[in-house]
Amino acid sequence: MLAANVAFSQVAPDAQVKSVSTEVINVLKADPAILGNQAKLKELIESKLLPNFNFGRMTQLAMGRNWAKASPEQQAALTKEFRTLLVRTYSGALANFRNNTVDFRPLRMQPSDTDVTVKTVIMQANGQGIPIDYSMEKAADGTWKAYDVAVAGVSLVTNYRDEFNNVIRDQGVDALVKQLQGKNK
Amino acid sequence: MKTVFIVVAAVASLSLSGCASFRSAAEGDPLEPINRGIFSFNNTFDHYLFKPIAKGYDAVVPGPVKTGVSNVFQNASDVQSIVSDIVQLKPAKLGDDIARVALNTTMGLGGIFDLATPMGIERGNEDFGQSIGYWGIGAGPYLVLPFMGPSSVRDLVGRAVDGQMDPLSMVSSVPVRNTLQGLRVVDARVGLFPAEALMNQAALDRYTFLRSAYLQRRESLVLDGKRPKE
Repeated sequence: MLAANVAFSQVAPDAQVKSVSTEVINVLKADPAILGNQAKLKELIESKLLPNFNFGRMTQLAMGRNWAKASPEQQAALTKEFRTLLVRTYSGALANFRNNTVDFRPLRMQPSDTDVTVKTVIMQANGQGIPIDYSMEKAADGTWKAYDVAVAGVSLVTNYRDEFNNVIRDQGVDALVKQLQGKNK
Repeated sequence: MKTVFIVVAAVASLSLSGCASFRSAAEGDPLEPINRGIFSFNNTFDHYLFKPIAKGYDAVVPGPVKTGVSNVFQNASDVQSIVSDIVQLKPAKLGDDIARVALNTTMGLGGIFDLATPMGIERGNEDFGQSIGYWGIGAGPYLVLPFMGPSSVRDLVGRAVDGQMDPLSMVSSVPVRNTLQGLRVVDARVGLFPAEALMNQAALDRYTFLRSAYLQRRESLVLDGKRPKE
C-alpha cells in the first residue's frame, strides 16, 4: 500500500486512474474466480483501489453543511462506516463486471490544476457505454486522490448527500451512524 | 402530431412560469407524499407480479433470443432518437442514428441483430424529454408514475411525444402489438436487475436514493455527459 502511494506521487491523475483500473482488470482476468469470492474481492479492492480514494473528504462532502454539526468522534465513525458501505457496494458492482473493457478519455489539464475530473467509459458487451467520472484532488504531498465518483452522471456524493440530509434532519447524526452500521452488518 | 405540440407548448409555459430548474432533488419533489405512496404501490406490484415474471423470462429464454429481443426494442428507440436529434440540431448524432436504424433494420433483420455497434456507430440515446431539456426547460417536479416508476413533468411529456413516434404503435394487429408492448416492459425489467441489486446494497432509503439518481441521470443525459461541477 505504501509502495503504491509512493509510486503514484509523481503520476498524472489520468495515468493513475488508468494504471489502477488496468491492474484490477488484469487481476480479474487472470483469476475470474475472484468475482465469486467476496473475501478475495474485498481484499483486491482494499489493496488496489482504496489507497486512491480520500474517504474523509468524500464523507465530508456527502455530509455537506451537517459536517460541522458532527463531533470529531461522529465524523470518524461516519467516515469509517461510509468507507465500508462503499467497499461493499463497489465489490457488488465489480461482480457484474464481465467481459467489459474500459476506455480512458484523455485529460486536458494545466500543470497548476489541483482539482480535475478523469473520464472513463466502461464498454459493455451490448455496446452500451457506462461513463464513470472520477473527481480528483491533489494533496499537499503531490498525490492525487478521488473524492467523488459519478456513474452515468450520478454522483455518489450528491446521492448520499440527499440521503444523509434526510436522516440527520429527522433523527440526528447518531441515527445516521447507526443506520450505516446496520447497513454494513 | 398536432396534439403533441400543444402539450409541449402547455408544459413549456407551465415550467417557465413556475419551476425553472432545481438544484437539490428535495426541492424538486413537492409531491413527495403522493410519490412515496405510488412508489410503495409499485414496489408491491413489482415484488408479487412483475419481478417474478421478469425472472421467469430471464431464466427460461435462451441468451441469444433475449439479446435479439433487446436489440429489436433498442432499434425502435433509435428511431425515436432520430426525431430528438433533429429537434436538438445534433447532426453527428442524427447521422449515427439514421445509419444505425438503416443498417440494423435491413441487414440486422428488423433489428434482431445489432450490426452497427460493433462497427463503432454509437447510439445517440436521445429522447423527447431530453429534447425539452435541451431547449432550456427545467425538469419540473419529480414524479413517480404508477407501474412505470421515476419520472418528472418534463419526462412525462417527453414520454407522450416519444409514444407518438414509437414504431411499435404502428403494428396494426392489436394482439401482436400488446404482446410486443408487454415483452418490451419485461425486457426492460430484466435489464434493471444489476442496478437494482446495487441500489439495495447502497441505499439507506430507496426512495431518496432512486430520486436523486434519476434526476442526476436525466440531467446528465440532457447535457450529454457534460455535468457541471458543483
